[in-house]
Amino acid sequence: MTGAGTAIYWNNMPHSGVIIRADRSGGVAVLCGATDIGQGSDSILAYLPAEVLGIDPKDVRVHPADTDLTPVDLGSYSSRVTLMCGVAAIQAATRLKRVLFEAVAKKLEVEPSHLVARERKIGVPDDWDKAVSFADAVVLGEATHGVLAFAGSYAPPKRAGKYKGGGVGPSPCYSYSACVVELTVDEETGEVALDDVWVAHDVGRALNPLLVEGQVEGSIYMGIGEALMEEQVFRKGLHKCPSMLEYKSPTTLETPDIHTILVETDDPEGPFGAKEAGQGPLLPVIPAIANAIYHATGVRIDEVPITPDKIIRGLDLRRRGKPARVGPERIPVFAFKEPLVVESAFGQPADAIAVRPFGGPES
Amino acid sequence: MMRLPPFTYLAPKTIGEAVTLMAEHDGNAMLVAGGTDLYPNMKRRQFEPKVLVGLHGIRELRGVRGTPESGLTIGAGVILSAVARHPDIWRSYRGLATAAGLVSSPQLRNMGTIGGNVCLDTRCNYYNQSYSWRKAIGFCMKKDGDICLVAPSSSRCWAVSSSDTAPVLWSLGAQVKLASASGERTVPISTLYRDDGIEYLAKRPDEILTEIVLPPADGWRSEYLKLRRRGSFDFPVLGVAVAARMDGGRVREARIVLGAVASLPREAATAAQALVGERLTLDVIALSADLAAGPSKPLDNTDFTHPYRKKMTRVFVARALRRIAGLPV
Repeated sequence: MTGAGTAIYWNNMPHSGVIIRADRSGGVAVLCGATDIGQGSDSILAYLPAEVLGIDPKDVRVHPADTDLTPVDLGSYSSRVTLMCGVAAIQAATRLKRVLFEAVAKKLEVEPSHLVARERKIGVPDDWDKAVSFADAVVLGEATHGVLAFAGSYAPPKRAGKYKGGGVGPSPCYSYSACVVELTVDEETGEVALDDVWVAHDVGRALNPLLVEGQVEGSIYMGIGEALMEEQVFRKGLHKCPSMLEYKSPTTLETPDIHTILVETDDPEGPFGAKEAGQGPLLPVIPAIANAIYHATGVRIDEVPITPDKIIRGLDLRRRGKPARVGPERIPVFAFKEPLVVESAFGQPADAIAVRPFGGPES
Repeated sequence: MMRLPPFTYLAPKTIGEAVTLMAEHDGNAMLVAGGTDLYPNMKRRQFEPKVLVGLHGIRELRGVRGTPESGLTIGAGVILSAVARHPDIWRSYRGLATAAGLVSSPQLRNMGTIGGNVCLDTRCNYYNQSYSWRKAIGFCMKKDGDICLVAPSSSRCWAVSSSDTAPVLWSLGAQVKLASASGERTVPISTLYRDDGIEYLAKRPDEILTEIVLPPADGWRSEYLKLRRRGSFDFPVLGVAVAARMDGGRVREARIVLGAVASLPREAATAAQALVGERLTLDVIALSADLAAGPSKPLDNTDFTHPYRKKMTRVFVARALRRIAGLPV
C-alpha cells in the first residue's frame, strides 16, 4: 500500500479538476474526469454549476471521464467524488460567473456585487425587469473576455500523516453514522433474518436526497454482506469462492426494509456543505448486527462473517453453561512496523496545511 | 470473460430423431434442454462436447398428463416453474412443487426443465470453477485430473448431488422413462443414481430421459425443505424430502430422502421405518430425525461447513415431519 500510495498521491497537484465552458446559446459544458459508477456524480456535476450560475441542471451538458478531454479526477473510490469534483465544479462555475457579472454590470451600469444569478437571468433583485437572460450574459461576457472557459481544482487541505503512505486517503472532513438493527434468529438453525435497519447518517448536505438515500442503502447492503456472508477463505493460495455465485453477498431477498435518516450539518469544506455518503453508513451496520444477534440470543460472535454455524455453536455453549462467545480468543500477536516518518515534502513540513495555489471554492 | 467453445447444435423434432442422433454420435454428443447447468459448465470447460442434441423442439417431452388418482406423467421438458405452479402437483405432490419452486432463480426456473434437474451434474467447489482456477489448484479427477481434492486419499470422486427435485421424486416413488435407439425402459428413480461423483447416473450417455411417472397420490403427503445461504438462488447444501402415507392418523408408509449430502440422493430408510405404524407425535418425530442424521455424511465441498450441514439434517427432517403432521413448525 505504501508504494502505491507514494506513487499515486505524493504530489501537490489537484485531486479533481473541472473545466466549464459557456457557449453563445446559453448552454454550459462541464468536463471532469470523475467516473459515474451509479452513485450519480454526473448529475452532481450538473447541479452544482447550475446552482452557482442560476440556470437549470438541464442547461448543463456534462462530459465525464474522457481522458482525451477532461481534467484528472482520481476516481470513484474512498467516498470522495461529490466532495472533490463538486468543489472543483463550484470553483470553475464561480470563475465563469465573475466574468459574466462584470459584463452584465457594465451593461446595466451597476456594481457586480449587486447582481444575482437565478431563473436563467442575471440582474439586480430590486430591478429584476432589466435582468439579462443567461444566454445574453454569455454573449456580453464572451465579447469582453473572449472565450468563456474556466478551470476549477480541488485538493484536500491536509495530509493524513507525516509518514510514508500517509498520502493515502486524506480526509478533508468526517461523517458520522448511527445504526439500529432489528432481526430474528432461528434458534434451531442459527439463520438470521433481518427485519428492519435504521441508519442516520451525517451527510453534511444532501445535494440530491434520492441519490444520497441510494448511497446509504447501498452501504447497508454492503454492511449486511460483510456481517453475515462475505469471507476471504483461501485454499492453496487460491480464493475458495472466486465467483459471484459462491462469494455470497445479499440479494434483495436478504435485504430488509431500510429506513434512512439524512442528518444535515453543513460542512465548511464540502460543496454547499455536502460530505460523503458512499461508504460511511456501512460501518455501524456490522457491529449493530452483531449486537442485535447478542441481544436476541445471548451469543457473542467475535468475528465476521457471523454464520448460522457459529451462532449454533454459541447457543450450544450457552446451553452447556459455558461463555457463549465464538471467534478468536485473543488478538493475534503482531508487531507493527515503525512508521517511516517523512519530515518534509515539496519544501513544506509533511504534516503542514497544504498551500493550495489553485485556491478554495471561492477563489 | 468466459465464452462458450464452438460446438454443433442439432435440433431434432421427435424423440425418435433424438435417439438416432445420440446413437450416431456414439458418446461424443451431450443432451441439452434448458441449458442452465450445461452452458455454464461448458464455459468453464467442465463439459467439452463437440455436438449438442437440443431437446427444446421436441413436443413429446412437454406437458403433464394423468390425474393424482391415477398417477401423473410429467414430460422431461416441462420447465421447473410450470412444475411448481401446476395445480395437481401442488395439491397432491406438494414436496415436488416446493422443490421445483426452490431451484435457482425465477429466470432459470423458466428455462430449466425437470428432466435437466433430475440429471443435474454433481457439484463440488473444487470442480465448479473456471478452467484457470482448476488448473492453478491442480485439476481434480472429475475433470482433467486424477485425484480428489476433497479427499485426496480416496480413489473416487465425492462431488455432491445438488438436485432439488431428485430427492423428492425418490421419496414419492417416481419412475423415469429412458429412451435410446435400442428401445425404451422405465425404472424407479431410486435406481437412476450411483454413489459416484463422476458416474453419478446409472443410465447410458445415449439414453434420453423422456418422462417422469408419479404413482397415484393416494394418501401420500410430502414436504421438501432446503438449506442454503440465500433464499434467492443458491444450490441446496442440504435437501430434505419426506413423504408419508397416512392411514387414520398413523403412518402406513414413509420415505425420507436427503439431498446434497452425498453423490446421490441418500435414502434414510431406518428413520422412515421408525415412523411406520406410529402417530406423528413430537417424540416419534424426534426419534426419526435423529436416525435420519446417520446417513447424512456431507464433506467439505459445498457452501457452509459440513458439520453444520449434518447437524441441520436432524432439524430439517423434524421440521418436514412436523409439517406433514400439521404441527407447528
